[in-house]
Amino acid sequence: MISLRFQQPSQPSNFDTNSKMKAVFLYNFTRYFEWPEKKKENNFIIYVVGKNESLMSELKNLSSKKKVGNQEIEIKNTPHFDSDIISNIIYFSPNIINPISDAASKNKKQGALIVGETPESCNKGASINFVIIDNKLKFEYNKNAAVKAGLETKEDFKALALKVID
Amino acid sequence: MYKLPKIITKLILSTLLLLSIGVYAQEEKLFRARVLYESKIPANIELARLCVDSLILDSITKDDFISWTLRSFIYFDIYKRSEKNKLNSDLRDTIISSIKKSNLLNPDETYLGNNKKLLQNIGAGYFNLSKKMLEDSLDEEKSLIAYNRFKEIYKILEPDINFTSKDIEYNLTKGSIFSDIFIKDNNNNKAQNIAKVALLKVIELDMNNESANINLGLMYYNQAVNLSKELDYGADFTQIDFIQENIIKLAKQAEQFIFKVYTKNNKNARSAEALFYLYRMLLDEPKSDQFKKIAIDLGVKFGDETPTKEEKLNEEKK
Repeated sequence: MISLRFQQPSQPSNFDTNSKMKAVFLYNFTRYFEWPEKKKENNFIIYVVGKNESLMSELKNLSSKKKVGNQEIEIKNTPHFDSDIISNIIYFSPNIINPISDAASKNKKQGALIVGETPESCNKGASINFVIIDNKLKFEYNKNAAVKAGLETKEDFKALALKVID
Repeated sequence: MYKLPKIITKLILSTLLLLSIGVYAQEEKLFRARVLYESKIPANIELARLCVDSLILDSITKDDFISWTLRSFIYFDIYKRSEKNKLNSDLRDTIISSIKKSNLLNPDETYLGNNKKLLQNIGAGYFNLSKKMLEDSLDEEKSLIAYNRFKEIYKILEPDINFTSKDIEYNLTKGSIFSDIFIKDNNNNKAQNIAKVALLKVIELDMNNESANINLGLMYYNQAVNLSKELDYGADFTQIDFIQENIIKLAKQAEQFIFKVYTKNNKNARSAEALFYLYRMLLDEPKSDQFKKIAIDLGVKFGDETPTKEEKLNEEKK
């Protein structure tokens, strides 16, 4: 009997939904914090610490489409934490824990929102820590750390967090 | 008294003579039709058609299976040159009805065999048409008509024929084509529904069919990917939450189909690869790492954009 051409199964997309979600979250955070005036002058810098190609790709895409107020978004990335890099947000990739304390102490009143992604992040001085609950990306919020970093915070942000450390 | 038998004899003789002339004339016409057909010259084939059409109307040859079979072959010659790619073809219908008629007239083995071969050819034509309509014009409705006609033809040949494997093959092809369309255009709900119905039909016929399960799973997975891709960077947290909920729902639907394939065949690299992406989507790092390693062992190559936890730790140590 005749036969149809065999159809190969479709290919799974390698698009990283998790990185997209983190980029959306990071951009959303900018609505709930007020950076010091000196951090509003040049580009809005999101600094990614650690190798994270898919997040970098998403953030670059974000920077080409969005602004923070009138500020252009600029993305920086180093494999290890560099305290000389001035930024508005410092995101520490998972498994990069130790430099968070260093970053927190050096950025006091400097206006950098530190975002981590490990259970100890908030204890080490990060203002925000990404957590996973029921397959969803959520976040914990350390308001004290944000205040110490010189950021003005909006109260309604607390309601969005899974856990708040006041 | 003498005259009556004489008249009767004359009448009988005349009738026999007329009949034999008639038979001879019809045989001559049949011979002529055959010669014209065998010349394979299009103009001659048209003449053969006129010849054979008059044969099947004649009282002497209308019940002769040879006339009907010859007719089907003559019509087939014209059909394959002009109407092979048409879903509805009078020529094709004439071929089928002529074969049916010939078969009813108790043809000898040779003619029966020829009738069968020609019907198989017509059936194959319908099958190819059903495929062409899916692949070239994406006309699912017409394709299904062609496919059902293919089945009708084969039922004439083998009344007890089982079409399960053909149904699987046909629906799998349909499902793959339309799921690809849907994956490329997430707003194409029609393609999504056609693909789902086709792939679910395959699973109904063959619960563990690897291709159908993987394709259905990947369709849900890629649908979730598209939701994420379409999410605006400026979406608020309510929208983000809604999208996350839907991504999870789709990923879990995908999981049941893809995991089934992996459970039945843990050497299926595509399922291991898909499970890696799926668990990464569900933010389940231990499972995604596990399936990444399995997929690599099965020969799947990944870029370094999605390191496992172990790879990340190694990277940090550097």
